[in-house]
Amino acid sequence: MATSIGIGFSREVDSEKAAQDAAIKAKINHEDSIDFAIVFFTVHYNPNKLLPIINKILNKPRMIGCTTTGIILSESIETRGIAILTIRSDEMKCGIGSVNNINALDVRQAGSILAKNSIADFGQHGRQVFLFFADGLISNNSLLLKGIQEVFGNVFPIVGAGTSDDFHFQETHQLFQNRILTNSATGIILGGHMSVGVGGRHGWRPLGKPRIIDSVEGTTIRTINQQRAAGLYEEYFGEEAEKLRSDRLGQMAILYPLGIYVEGSREYLLRNAVDIRKDGSIVCQGEVPEGSEVHIMIGNKDSCKQAAWEAALEAKKNLLGKEASLIIVIESMARLKLLGRMAFEEIEKIQYVFGKNVPVIGMYANGEICPFQSVERIKKPHLQNESIVVLAIS
Amino acid sequence: MENLGSYFIFIGGLFGFTIICVLIFVLMSKTEHLHQLQAALYKMKRSFNELDEQAKLIVKTDLELNKSQEESAKRLNALDALQKASRLISTTLDENEIFHRLEQSLITKLGFEKSIVLIYDEVKKLQKKVSWGFSDDDIQFIIGDIEKDSSLTLSLAQGHTFSSVKAPLQRRETINRLFNVEHFVLTPILTKNGIIGLVFVGNRSNAAPITEGDEELVSILANQIGQSLENARLFEEVFRSSQVLESKVQDRTKQLASALEEVQTVSKTKTEFISAVSHELRTPLTSIKGYASLLMTGKLGNIPDQVRDRLEKINTHSDNLVKLINDLLDIARIESGRVEMTMRKVQLAHMIENVRDLLTPQIRDKNLQWELEIDPQLPEVELDSSQFERVFINLIGNAIKFTPEKGAITIKAAHDNGWINIEISDTGIGISEEDMDRLFEEFYRVENPINQKVKGTGLGLSLAKKIVEAHNGKIWITSKLNQGTTFHFTIPVKQPGHDEKR
Repeated sequence: MATSIGIGFSREVDSEKAAQDAAIKAKINHEDSIDFAIVFFTVHYNPNKLLPIINKILNKPRMIGCTTTGIILSESIETRGIAILTIRSDEMKCGIGSVNNINALDVRQAGSILAKNSIADFGQHGRQVFLFFADGLISNNSLLLKGIQEVFGNVFPIVGAGTSDDFHFQETHQLFQNRILTNSATGIILGGHMSVGVGGRHGWRPLGKPRIIDSVEGTTIRTINQQRAAGLYEEYFGEEAEKLRSDRLGQMAILYPLGIYVEGSREYLLRNAVDIRKDGSIVCQGEVPEGSEVHIMIGNKDSCKQAAWEAALEAKKNLLGKEASLIIVIESMARLKLLGRMAFEEIEKIQYVFGKNVPVIGMYANGEICPFQSVERIKKPHLQNESIVVLAIS
Repeated sequence: MENLGSYFIFIGGLFGFTIICVLIFVLMSKTEHLHQLQAALYKMKRSFNELDEQAKLIVKTDLELNKSQEESAKRLNALDALQKASRLISTTLDENEIFHRLEQSLITKLGFEKSIVLIYDEVKKLQKKVSWGFSDDDIQFIIGDIEKDSSLTLSLAQGHTFSSVKAPLQRRETINRLFNVEHFVLTPILTKNGIIGLVFVGNRSNAAPITEGDEELVSILANQIGQSLENARLFEEVFRSSQVLESKVQDRTKQLASALEEVQTVSKTKTEFISAVSHELRTPLTSIKGYASLLMTGKLGNIPDQVRDRLEKINTHSDNLVKLINDLLDIARIESGRVEMTMRKVQLAHMIENVRDLLTPQIRDKNLQWELEIDPQLPEVELDSSQFERVFINLIGNAIKFTPEKGAITIKAAHDNGWINIEISDTGIGISEEDMDRLFEEFYRVENPINQKVKGTGLGLSLAKKIVEAHNGKIWITSKLNQGTTFHFTIPVKQPGHDEKR
């Protein structure tokens, strides 16, 4: 058999039992040893207990993984559990890498290290896509992406996720082989005789009049329309910035992100506000271009589902007629919050495009990286928020 | 020249004036246009601002909608989880299983980060039954603090629930510190006998605050836990009692079985003994009777009258003794199953008529009225006629014996759904209730003047009962003193498992 894919999932309460259950299920489809595994688990599980068992059962394959707010499967969305994707392939090649203690490094340089480490493991095969998971609490994952792009080039398909911890915004974990990391990033290059198609959308729409971001420092917006940036949220939500910060800013900001108009783009680039400082400046999850036009953005269930469908169509188009054998979905946790019980309807939209028999696995992220919708033929990856990214592998 | 110069000046002035006029006109026109543009820009700005205001309204409405939707979804999930948890814990009567299932439910379905269920033991100390998110040391510390806080335990015992939504600030802060959470519900587990434990759930993260809905949910869950534990404990109590009872019943059954076995052994021994002894007695009795009869014939020489009288008595007593021994032997045979019944179809009316013929002299001696009420449609009955005839002889013989002169004897026989019901009634002296209970016992004879005069073995009714039972029938008696007695017996028309013979 050329390529075999296994997906195991468990919602057992006990970490060790859950790891064992999921690993055994993930192993069932494979006759030979496993080439690589990707693990997603919710914050309810102790990674120190999971990892040794998974490694033992899967016989120490190349493995990366991370914590997530929810797990996406072919049949359901799970907000508690462990999912393991395993692949054994003669045609597909992979290489994994990691970078630790990112905040102690130059973030851009950390991105380069991650990419180089992954390439070192991958070797000289043809590269198709780079998938990585970075701590979602890192202040500027845009820089990490830039570092990665310095190695892979600006137009190489990169899909990434900020690891999340169920809206706690306290600590997330990244897995790399037998190591449990935090404030780190792990990635995998996929290549060889395979094809990938990537599609990404968010479905949020601008609200109100445009404003100009006139002072920016990295990921921090100081002023909008020559007033303190937090005034924008205060105007719309009618509450003081201080209260916004204490009263579930995280959730409010992810439901109503800032939308930045990028010249030549088809969609607004979304930015979550992760903090409002005492001076009224807004700290975003990614970089914001100074002088750009900004809106408060709004989304609803229908626009989310429509975006999922469009992302799937785009991924399918990018497969250039090849049949998908696996779908990996990286999706913003904001969408889970917004869609609630209807979250699985997005997956149904994707399955409508690719067919129900194609296995689906995915996670809810705090910040997504995928090629941005622009008028250019070859689209550059950007850090985005509130988006759904469909990575189809053939 | 001068005029020409003036002419040019005039023309130039006119031209300049015209240009100025045109410029003024253009300026005025532009100014007007500018005003119009400014007005349009103002309108546009106003529209933008209005749109922005509308957008703010939309955002606020959307925010409210999202919040209420989130709350509704949370409620729905919580209700679903509560329903599942309730069903899980209410479908077991094992206390440990309740806590096991509760652990699963609290962790996986209700979605709280931390939870504890504490239950009071026999000495009123709190014991951990379920915990999630706490170390054993944490729990010991928490139990110690709760037990020390008498106002808290008193409030809980009175049924008060504390939550981060409603609890007074000081109490809220105390609980926050004690359980190391930001949001919580602490509620008692109550039964009709009062508080039996506590349920605590909490979240550390501000992203998951406890709502009033959560408070209601946890209170309902605590009630459900209380009911389930109460049911489990009641069941345990009933189960233990039933086990004790069952054990007692088993012991008593064993004792009875042992006693029955003993009785059966004794009965068997008695039967064998009677059978053996009867055989041994019958042989010499036959010789005695034979010799007495021989002597009485005078073939061995004349015998004096006094000797003849004695010999006749020997003969009569020998006959009585032989009959007694025969009856005993029959009873012993029937009891031990050694008598093989020869079942044949018999007309009961004929059998009764034969018995009447046999007993006619006695009936006539006492001038008794003989009445027969036999169903003409009575079917033939499967029975051993030689044995069953003895039943009629015994019962009718008794009726004759205990009925005064000019009394009546009535024989009834009727068919009822495969069974023959027979009654033999007399208008005799009747039997007391105490005697009726023992009437079918071997050798039992009712003490009355007639029995004192007429000798009997006390085996006739016992033998009749054995023969009826050997035919799968039943026999019983009804009687009133000085009014008469009726013997009832019933036998099946067809003997079960018996092939018809004729």
